Order: sequence, then C-alpha cells, then structure tokens
Amino acid sequence: MSVAIEEVEELKGGLMKVRIGVQHPISGQGTIVVTTDGEIVYEIDVDIGYSHRGIEKILENRTFLQGIVPMERMVMLDTAHVTMAYVRAIEELMGVEAPPRAQYIRTIILEMNRLISHTYAFGLLAESTGWFPAVFLWTTGDREPFLDLMEMLTGARWSYSFIVPGGVRADLPQGFKEKAKEAIRYMRSRLDLYVDAWLDNALFEIRTKGVGVLPRDKAIEWGAAGPNLRASGVPYDTRKNEPYAAYEEMDFKIALETAGDAYARAAVRIQEMYTSLDIIEQALDNMPPGPVRVSVPQRVPPGEVYARVESARGELGVYLVSDGKDKPYRVKISAPSFRNFFVMEMLPTIQEVKFADVPVIYMSLDPWFLDADR
Amino acid sequence: MLEAIPLPEELARFVQANFKYILMVTVFPGLAFILLFVIFAVWFKRKYLARLMLRMGPVHAGKVLGWLQLIADAIKLVSKEFIIPRATFKLLFFMLPVILPVIPAAMIMLIPFAPDLVLFDAAGNGLVVFLAIATIYPVLSMLTGWVANNKFTIIGALRTVYMDVAAEIPLVLAVIGVVILAGTFDFRGIIEAQSRIWFIGPQIIGFIVFLVGLLGMTERVPMDFPVAEPELVVGVKTEYTGPLYLLTMEADFVNWLAWMLLMIVLYLGGYKGPDIFGDPTLSGVFWMMVKLLVVMILLMTAEIAYARLRVDQAVRIGWRYLIPLAFLNLVISVLLKYYFPDLFSAPSA
Repeated sequence: MSVAIEEVEELKGGLMKVRIGVQHPISGQGTIVVTTDGEIVYEIDVDIGYSHRGIEKILENRTFLQGIVPMERMVMLDTAHVTMAYVRAIEELMGVEAPPRAQYIRTIILEMNRLISHTYAFGLLAESTGWFPAVFLWTTGDREPFLDLMEMLTGARWSYSFIVPGGVRADLPQGFKEKAKEAIRYMRSRLDLYVDAWLDNALFEIRTKGVGVLPRDKAIEWGAAGPNLRASGVPYDTRKNEPYAAYEEMDFKIALETAGDAYARAAVRIQEMYTSLDIIEQALDNMPPGPVRVSVPQRVPPGEVYARVESARGELGVYLVSDGKDKPYRVKISAPSFRNFFVMEMLPTIQEVKFADVPVIYMSLDPWFLDADR
Repeated sequence: MLEAIPLPEELARFVQANFKYILMVTVFPGLAFILLFVIFAVWFKRKYLARLMLRMGPVHAGKVLGWLQLIADAIKLVSKEFIIPRATFKLLFFMLPVILPVIPAAMIMLIPFAPDLVLFDAAGNGLVVFLAIATIYPVLSMLTGWVANNKFTIIGALRTVYMDVAAEIPLVLAVIGVVILAGTFDFRGIIEAQSRIWFIGPQIIGFIVFLVGLLGMTERVPMDFPVAEPELVVGVKTEYTGPLYLLTMEADFVNWLAWMLLMIVLYLGGYKGPDIFGDPTLSGVFWMMVKLLVVMILLMTAEIAYARLRVDQAVRIGWRYLIPLAFLNLVISVLLKYYFPDLFSAPSA
C-alpha cells in the first residue's frame, strides 16, 4: 500500500507520533519520529543534529596534518576510511603519491576497519529483529582479534590517525603477518557460523525478507550508498570504479544482491566481510618492500579537489578547497549515512512499513547519526 | 511448639486444624517457593544466558557465581523513587503491579506437586479453573499499558491483545486433546492417566501447539512482540520504575512458572517418576523440580536461538497453522482413545 501525502495529512488527526530516541534502546544519538496508527507507519522523520560537532569548521582551523584527528571523530567505527578520504584529497592537491608499501598497509587497515564496522552492523541488525543480544555479543567478541591487530599496528584500538599525507605512520611490526593470518582463519570459521546459524535461520528470514524493499531505480534516484545500493542490484563500488590505495592490484568481486530488502543488505555485508578477509590476505602475501612514507610539503598548492572512498557505510566524499596556506580554506564532507537516512525517510512512501519493522529497516541500512551530523 | 505461643483459643484451634494448609500456603507450593523460584530463575537466566553469549554474568556480589547479585538488585530497585507520570490513573497505576503476580500464583495453587500435595483441587475441575484464571492475566496486562498512558505502553497493550488472540485460542484447543485422552479435567487424574505413557508421545502435535501458545502467553521469544525492546522499550511496563517495576517483573516470572508447571502436568507426567525416596510425596516434589529445571533450561535456550515474530506474522501462525493443527490433534486424540482405551487409564492397583 502506498500512502499519498494528502492522505497522511488527512489521517494525522488520528495518528500518533512516536519518538524513537534520543533515549531509546535502538536509537543512536538522534531521534526517529515515526507517525503511526500503532502498527502501520505513515511517515518516518529522522531528526538529526543532536551531535553536531561542526567538524567542517574545525578543519578550517587546523593544519592539514592536525585535521586528521578531528576528522576521525566523524564516525568512530570507521575512522580509517574517513582519514583515507581526507588524505586522498590532500595528496591529490599536493600531487604526491604514497609509496607502494604504504598503499598496501593502507589497504589492510581499511579492510580491517570495514570488517570491524560490518560485524557491529550485523550484530545490531540481529538485535533489532528481536534476537536476544546474543548475536550482537558474539559479533563484538569476534572482531576483538582485529582490534588487537589494530592496536599492534597503530597503537590504538579506535581512532588510529595512522593514514597520513604521504603514506602511513609506521611499517608493519614483527609477527603481524602471522597474527593476522590466524585472525583471518578464525574469522572465516565464524562467518561460516553466522551464515549457518543466523542468515539461514527461518525466523531471521521471515523478519527481514521483503522488509524495507529498496527497488533498483529508487536506490539510484534517492542516492542510497554502499552496501544498501549493492543490495538493490547496482554494482557500484568506489574500490572498483575509482581505485585508491592498492585496490587496483587486488583480486576481488563486488558483493551483489538483487532483492533490495533487509535480508539482502545483511547478505551483502556478510559477503563483504568474506571479501575483506580475502583482500587482507592478498595484501599480506604480496606486500612490496620499500619505504612507507614520503615527505610532503607543509603547504598545499591552491586549488580544489573532490576525493572519495568506499567507507563501510557507503561512498564518502571530501571536497577540499585550498588557498595555498597550511590550513584548508573549506572542507565539505559528503557523508553516506546522511543519504541512507534519506532513503529511510522515503521508504514508507512506496510500500507498507510496519511499526515493528522500523528498527529492522534502520539497522539494515546502517546509518549513523554521528556520521550524518558531522 | 504451638502451645508455647499464647494465642486466642479459636485461632489456636484453627491453626492446629489447618496447620498443613497454612504451611502449604506460606512455604510450599505457596509464597516462599514462588519467591525463591523467581530469585533463582532470574539469577539462573542471567548466568546461563551470559554463558551462551560468551559473557560471565554477575560475578562480584557474593563471591560464588554472583549469587547475591539478585538480592542486591532487589534492594536497589526497592530503594528507588516512585516516579508517577502526570497523566495516569494513579490508583490503578499503583495497584496493578501488586495484583499482577497474584493471578499466576493462584494458578500455581491448583497444580498438584505430589499425589497428596495440592492446595486446591477445585472439585476435580482444576484444568478449567486454571485456564479461567489465566484469561485474567492478559486483560490486566493490557490495563497496565492503558493506565500508564504512554505511546509505547498503549501500543504494547494493543499487542498484548493480539497476542492473546494468537496464542490462547490454539493453546486451549490443544489442551482439549489431553482432556479427551485422560477423560477428566482433574490434574491428578490427568497425571495418573500418564502412568503408562507421557502425553508428549501421543499428543506430540498438541504439545507443539501448546508450546507455541505457552511462549505467547508468557511473552517469550519468538512470541514476545508485546515487550519488543527495539521499538517498544519494555511494552506495557515502560513507565514503571523501582519497586513497581520489580513487581511487574516478578509477575512475569511467576506467570512463566505457572505455565511451565501446567506443561509438566499435562504432557510430561507431572509428579510421576521412580519412587527414589520411598516416600511418594518427597519423590513427587523431587521429580516435579527436576522436570521444571529441564523445561526451564530448554525454554531459556530457545530464547536466544530465535528472532522475534512480528504481530501480523504471529497472528497468522496462530490462526493459519496452530488452530488447524489443534483440530487435527483433537481428531487424533479421539481415534487414539477409541482404539487404545487401556493405554490412557490409571493402572487399577
């Protein structure tokens, strides 16, 4: 059933607005205002702005190197990708290129970060379907080896500030490769378990199949990003279409599903986790020798550039304007979560959404308020 | 001992004449047992589910397995402030959590724990009375949501009604199969009829329907949509805090206990079991407790193995699958009773 806007206006007297958030088990740092009659949802209104930190303005007052840290605060689960986007923009303006070994290390960090983010997203999706937090706790437990690897490599479990203009901060530590291989083996067996126990679970299927269907044409029209776009059958992945780091030399396929519902989005995330493991393995095996950082000038030549990376939540763009000083003139961030929230708002206009499906849709699109707010 | 306490003549005589019943009401299977079960079940659930989730569960309060944690939590909840939303009907808001645990406790009163240990056998109509009392609980639960006058609680109250429609009707239909086989509404009669074979065997379809209905009536996963946390916080209980929340939670667990006991009596042979203590009362209680523990563990495991059904899905399952299955079960029961009448009668000792 599709509800015309006029009809909503007419019904509003008898409907209620339920605020899911700011203090609610499923909401993040924002509010989802749901107009519902108790079961059927007529309107979803996402209210962002509770955690606006003005990162874009802060960046104007920091030098290019200092800007990496405030940039990371945009989305804590996925810090490597945000820094990568910023660094990519800076490097393009400077016209420098990081040495090949640095590109490989960057790839490893980016993929590990994607894995960490996706395990979290999958756990939250399972929890939103009413699974007792078991799945969530298992997935958060399973990303622990990768957090340890991150700590070994960068010195921090979160917020690495490891990718810098001109390369990465340090080379791989001793014994990293062996530990990483062990973690990959472990994660593969756990992913098989997730597929067996949860993705193929009948109750998980009936809660997610046909829920929040995002058709292919609407996905393109509304600008859905990342796994949500690929779950609707659009083979778009910045890692393939506009390769950065060492993705050009990696052998991997774009995860693709065609159903466009919450189940397809979960399946795409699982596929991408497998892909990430493959990419990490390839990068570890084919790691070229050489330096990991080249020196770069402190000032960036004037000009403007738009750089994008495929973050765990979708394509993340950074538009950078430099006027030749040591600080950026203007930085505009295009966040994937913002676009995915828009998709979430639009979904009730093309299909019947049940109130109980709102958390499932929210978590299957995996947008983050912090990311959308910036 | 009783003579030592100075009591009015009539009261002393009353106590002496009804000493056994007073003990049963206050200790077993009455108040003390129910409260101890709630404490044990909550603690056990937290420890057991924690292990399944790769956690430790409570460890600090009470050195061994955190056994004092529940007492500590209860003290914390009791010492909290009463927060009453402005737009509520205050009298009912206070009274309902107090009334709620009493309903399932009254259901437990009818359950026989041993051949001679039953508080109230309702003149041989135990099952009917049990189901009759059980219908009050969802109504009060709905009222709880309405009284609190909050959007989440009202949606939760509506869902409680849906749940009742989806779960209770198939459940009662499934129970009729047991009555046909046993030929009586009396719980002890039903248990005696299982002397040769537990009803879970011949009534397996009925048992499955009953189990799903039980999950619904006790609001457990996968039929726990009235308390769906991701959208409704805790459903009808959202506005309760402190001591009142403690009472609603207790009601939840007492309700669970009552339905589990009914399942044991109807399908798992009740107090039947090898007479290991040489005393039928003691053995009966022992076997009831063993079966209760096993059922409890199985239901808790099911709780983390499944996702939650949506309202429409649960009602569809209830009406499209469970009710036809329950009717099929009735036909099977009649046929079984017709062809093997001796299998389901008490052994004529």
